[in-house]
Amino acid sequence: MSLMKEVRTLTRGRDWRGRTRTPRSATAWEQPAPRKEFATGWARTPVANAVRLGLQRGLLKSVAWSQTRPVVEGLDYLDGLRGPAVFVANHSSHLDAPLVLGSVPRRFARRLAVGAAADYFFDVRWRALVTTLVFNAFPIERFGSKRLRSLAPVLLDRGWSLLLFPESSRSQDGWMTSFRLGAAHLCCTRRVPAVPIALRGTFGAMPRGRNWPVPGRRKIVIRYGRPLWPEAGEDARHFNERLTRAVARLWAEEDIGWYQALREDAKAVVVRPAGPPAAEWRRLWEATRPLRDERPRAVWPGSRR
Amino acid sequence: MTAALEYRRAPARYLTARGATSTRLGSRLSGVLASNVAPLRLVSRGRQPAPDGGWARLRPLLAGICGSDLGMLTGRSSPYLFPVVSMPFVPGHEIVAETLDETPDLPKGSRVVVDPVLACAARGVPACRWCEVGQHSRCDRVTTGRIAAGLQTGFCADTGGGWSRTMVAHATQLHPVPDRLDNERAVLVEPLACAIHSVRRVDIPPGASVLIVGAGTVGLLTLLALRELTPAGATYLVAKYGHQRARARELGATEVFDPARAPRAMRRATGGSLEHPVFGAEYLLGGVDFAFECSGSSSGLDAALRLVRAGGTVLLSGMPSGTVDLTPVWFRQLRLVGSYASDGGGAPQDGQPSDFATAVSLAGDAPLSGYVDAVYPLTRWREAIGHAIGAGRLGTVKVAFDPTRD
Amino acid sequence: MSRPGFVLEVDERTPSLLVNEGDGFRLERFPLGTRVVYPPDVLPGLRDVNGAIRRALFNPVGSDPLPTLLFPGMRLTIVFDDISIPLPQMQTPDIRQRIIEQVLELAAEAGVDDVELVAANALHRRMTPTELKRAVGERVYRAFFPDHLRNHDAEDPDRLVHLGHTNQGEDVEINRRAAESDLIVYVNVTLTAMSGGPKSVSVGLASYRSLRHHHNVHTLRHSRSFNDPPNSAMHHSYDRMADVLGEHVKIFTIETTLNNEAFPSHVGFMNKREWEWSLLDQASYLSFKRANDMTPPKLRREVWQRSYAPYGVTGVHAGDPAVVHPLTLANVHRQQLTEVDGPSDIGIWGLPFICPYNVNSIMNPILVMSLGLGYFFNLYRGQPIVRRGGVAIFYHPMPNAFHPVHHPSYIDFFDEVLAATTDPAAIEAKYEQQFATDPWYIHLYRNSYAYHGVHPFYMWYWGAHALEHVGDVIFVGANRKAAARMGFRSASTLADALEMASDTVGSSPRLTYLHAPPLTLADVR
Repeated sequence: MSLMKEVRTLTRGRDWRGRTRTPRSATAWEQPAPRKEFATGWARTPVANAVRLGLQRGLLKSVAWSQTRPVVEGLDYLDGLRGPAVFVANHSSHLDAPLVLGSVPRRFARRLAVGAAADYFFDVRWRALVTTLVFNAFPIERFGSKRLRSLAPVLLDRGWSLLLFPESSRSQDGWMTSFRLGAAHLCCTRRVPAVPIALRGTFGAMPRGRNWPVPGRRKIVIRYGRPLWPEAGEDARHFNERLTRAVARLWAEEDIGWYQALREDAKAVVVRPAGPPAAEWRRLWEATRPLRDERPRAVWPGSRR
Repeated sequence: MTAALEYRRAPARYLTARGATSTRLGSRLSGVLASNVAPLRLVSRGRQPAPDGGWARLRPLLAGICGSDLGMLTGRSSPYLFPVVSMPFVPGHEIVAETLDETPDLPKGSRVVVDPVLACAARGVPACRWCEVGQHSRCDRVTTGRIAAGLQTGFCADTGGGWSRTMVAHATQLHPVPDRLDNERAVLVEPLACAIHSVRRVDIPPGASVLIVGAGTVGLLTLLALRELTPAGATYLVAKYGHQRARARELGATEVFDPARAPRAMRRATGGSLEHPVFGAEYLLGGVDFAFECSGSSSGLDAALRLVRAGGTVLLSGMPSGTVDLTPVWFRQLRLVGSYASDGGGAPQDGQPSDFATAVSLAGDAPLSGYVDAVYPLTRWREAIGHAIGAGRLGTVKVAFDPTRD
Repeated sequence: MSRPGFVLEVDERTPSLLVNEGDGFRLERFPLGTRVVYPPDVLPGLRDVNGAIRRALFNPVGSDPLPTLLFPGMRLTIVFDDISIPLPQMQTPDIRQRIIEQVLELAAEAGVDDVELVAANALHRRMTPTELKRAVGERVYRAFFPDHLRNHDAEDPDRLVHLGHTNQGEDVEINRRAAESDLIVYVNVTLTAMSGGPKSVSVGLASYRSLRHHHNVHTLRHSRSFNDPPNSAMHHSYDRMADVLGEHVKIFTIETTLNNEAFPSHVGFMNKREWEWSLLDQASYLSFKRANDMTPPKLRREVWQRSYAPYGVTGVHAGDPAVVHPLTLANVHRQQLTEVDGPSDIGIWGLPFICPYNVNSIMNPILVMSLGLGYFFNLYRGQPIVRRGGVAIFYHPMPNAFHPVHHPSYIDFFDEVLAATTDPAAIEAKYEQQFATDPWYIHLYRNSYAYHGVHPFYMWYWGAHALEHVGDVIFVGANRKAAARMGFRSASTLADALEMASDTVGSSPRLTYLHAPPLTLADVR
């Protein structure tokens, strides 16, 4: 038989991926396909690292910095930090990861992997490829009773820092929700420090449902906190609480200043980032309020500017 | 957290799909295009709170994939329908579900089929002239009211749809399912109700000859409705695939034809002369009294228009797509009738049972076993859509989702 | 988790299915409604084969442990199955090598000096030194060949001894050395339900005088089938002979069973269900098919003969043959048995490249007939997969080629005997005696590597039951002349074959395709 006829016999009934449907009488003996997670190892090879560095610094950072006005605070807390760390931030927008990647010191940015939701970023091949290449992402399964274990512990052991969003989903209204235990558990079992980061203003700049930042170069504050080391024998729940309070303090610092935030925290009040207990429009109203802008004061008060 | 297949607004994708499927190569790859280009995604939505008065949450047990859903995913549906849908919506309007809340007529946990039309009662507005006489398929107020615009559950942003783990429906939409109907038959009740409605749209005199073009779910159930509820005489069916022809014979069709053979066979059956235009398909001067177009394709409608006698009636059962030459309608003075969804039984004084009630009683006795022979979980939706698009070729009549399976 | 065998019904969603045909294969699109019988999934092999052998030797069933049976000064004969099993040949180390080495270790410990190794080849050809080395291993070969490692010679009157008659008057005559030993250790490989048990010694070491009592048309016509011993007249005869043997010799048998892993991993698609083929499987199918078709026939045959199977061993049992054999058969059934609901009008079989009698040789048309109408037709229990009077369709190119060294009597059988008649009973009556006692064939059997003169007759009788049962036999893709000589019809494609079959079974017959290899035993109700 000619080659074309052979190919046609072979591919008859099979789709473009070579798969065919199970015949009706064989459905009882179908073996469920094993759930494989998307292989991301290739993105951590030297070639991919170089490409990614170029994409992040050249493309991602320049676009993010041009569409918004980010202000980075607290990088001096990271001065003495060596080795892998888990960067933990609140999550309200797709801008969060690019902003952290662009602001974190170079020695971390080169060895940083981002945890991305498997059901959102890794459902279609092309989206998985792009996310893995540009962000060095690895899949984390959010739902389901039979979740696959993520790569996070392995990466930490190999010296990669991680960027995780323990809220596990972007905020619906811009305010912070409770942190899941995954990140805290990692830090406690692997004895790596957690660096809390508070991102303010990202919800206003690019909330859920938008694919591009709001025009007008909104101000965004990226505030890094002091790394938290898990104490000997500390359990994940306790560490998680510490971590939540650290991020809440950094959040509050934007509104009421550093010392006031510390004082509030001492009274164990973590209410501020949860937002006002009011109707939805008011929560959204407050969440999208532009951040206080230190523009230069008019020289002559009262003069028109 | 609950999973749902969500169709969101993405004009670029719609246009791409529409452009691609209109080419010859593209129409062969419809399955691939519908699965990958259509803006359909499996998302997790938050748990919805119990809705208030008159509404109930439902847990779909089986949700069918209809030709109109496929038309929307391949971009073949008309832009005419855009104002009466609100995005993002969860598709799925052929639903057999379990109620999760109490309603005035049904206890919690009862098995129901859903009449998807969102008419005045569901929208909480005063009844329009059609809803008053029980013809809610004609409701004028589908874009107003408490809930977003949407002609049916499965096209409305506020109600959810069958292709998800939870959705909501108004109490007036729910019809209890008797125990003797298993889920596979119950999911066929909604298309059967539409078929019953279509045969009630026209007055078929005893002994009239009827041609049904298309032998998918719509065509086969229309055949069933014709033979059970009308005094029609000879019923002919045009079916492309062998298994469809076998099922049609089982349901009592007089004769079944292959599409290529249809004009000649109709000439033999009904008399008249067969004309061959240089461009276009052959047609009969002569033909059947009624033709039901159940394939949803322009070639099917073309065939129906060309095989019906002068003064005859052509009924559009499936959502049409493409363009068709309407010269036969003018020249042979035909009546072109449309049929959409189902009704609640005409004016109260007529006493005729609603289409849905008739469908429930008919579904129990008819030879409908094996019609739903492919059931997929929501996670394998791309395979399900591909299977539904190639259903005829793959020997299946209806493909359904089982959202309770993982 | 190993899935059981099942019967597929071809529907619109079924892709084209794989069919073996000789030194090659093809994808065939079967009509809707065809039943296809699939064997159970390949069973996992034992992880520690040597440990299993050791356990079997020390804890046999129905017998004392082997070390207790060995004593200094005894005469020990180790007999092993010849090259006709397993098919395809096993990758080295062969299971026989493993077992014989362990037995010899125990014998050495016990101080046994008089040990002989005999290949139980009956009237098959002698094994060449290379083949012997492959079966028993380098170490055993070097220690025993050529004086104490030999083939059984069924035509040497000095080396045969007549032990008596069964209650039905059947002669029992076996190898003298084995009969006069204190212990026979039989190393068996049971590939199908036909082998092993009473067959091992009573047939493997027999002579023509003994074999003619069960290798005849009448017995084979009443073996329904010979893969189902309780219903096989042949096996009843074996049992009778084994009873006689039991009074004269002591036999310690070691029976092993193999799983269905008959193809190496790079042609893994041959063992997989077609709708579960990955893209890699499809690509390898296509590349193998093209390469195979382009290879010249001789080279192709070489390549296929050299494909050794990575079998896993599914069981090792040792001890008294009567007690061991049911355990062995249970393992065979576990790997091969599939239930089938009733026979159909047409049975379809795709014949592979190898049968017991063309290992390292050529499959001539008579061997094709015996493989199809004999071995494959009889892979049933209960009733054949095709009804009485139905049509049997086989796939094999049936090249008109004979191996002059291995199959000299076949050439004469084909040219002379089949040209005169193809009826098994007539052939038996008129020609068997001549060929069995022809001195030239006996000379070649004893000194060269030829099958005995009577062997082609046995091949013809193997298909006697099938010839009596079916109405018509059609070979797809076969050499027209060769098929016609044997009284069969040949068609170019399946469609033509079904067209030809419509004379016998009508135009809408029920079809059943036995998807073997891998070996499948159809349990037809």
